[in-house]
Amino acid sequence: MKLVQILLAASVACACGTVLASGNPEAGHKKSTPCQACHGPNGISVSPAFPNLAGQNPDYIMTALRHYKEGKRKNPIMQGQAANLSERDIEDLAAYFSSQKGLEYKH
Amino acid sequence: MQRAHRLALGALLACSTGAAALAAETQAPSQAPAAQAAAPQSNAASAKGAGAMSWSAPLQNKIAQCQGCHGIEGWRTAFPEVYHVPKLEGQKPEYIVAALKEYQNGERTFATMRAIASQLSDEDMQGIAKYYGAQNTNTAEKK
Repeated sequence: MKLVQILLAASVACACGTVLASGNPEAGHKKSTPCQACHGPNGISVSPAFPNLAGQNPDYIMTALRHYKEGKRKNPIMQGQAANLSERDIEDLAAYFSSQKGLEYKH
Repeated sequence: MQRAHRLALGALLACSTGAAALAAETQAPSQAPAAQAAAPQSNAASAKGAGAMSWSAPLQNKIAQCQGCHGIEGWRTAFPEVYHVPKLEGQKPEYIVAALKEYQNGERTFATMRAIASQLSDEDMQGIAKYYGAQNTNTAEKK
């Protein structure tokens, strides 16, 4: 029965077509202090060298953080920051920044 | 139980068929970016946020290439990892240029972006960055 529930949940998530963040935005908020120094408290970064994160797709943020952690994407600051993040931290941070208002699709 | 399983599988199947149909639908515009960009009222020129800025025809072609993925809500990468492509509207223009340069010189490795960035001049990159960044950076900060 559990399998059925999982499959149904997956099909509902799929049908909605929205990007669902698996993490907890409130936990992400608490963990985001170091991020805020560069990316801003509201996800709008403090310098043109750093990307805005507000509203970004959560799975894109998670992929970027995993790539920094694994060394697939190279940046001295971000590799240092991502090195100590757990998978749970990555999910929570992505949920937090993706919940902010900012980036959008341009149509 | 058996029936419930079949129902669930049926739902999943319907979902994936729907996704395929959606992909086919959304792929169509991305396959004809050149034609769109060549038209006077192109995607790029009429897009919201373009404001008073004008985009040369060659630049419109490049922007149409970006829009083929980044302009479609919910568009995902297909290989080697699946995730939603980043939203670009409202991004810092300088960061967009830096990212494109990293793809061009191989520091960033995603194959599709490497292929596209390899064909861009510095001027193209500046234009693309302006298209996505200039207007909405301010809007985002006001929010």
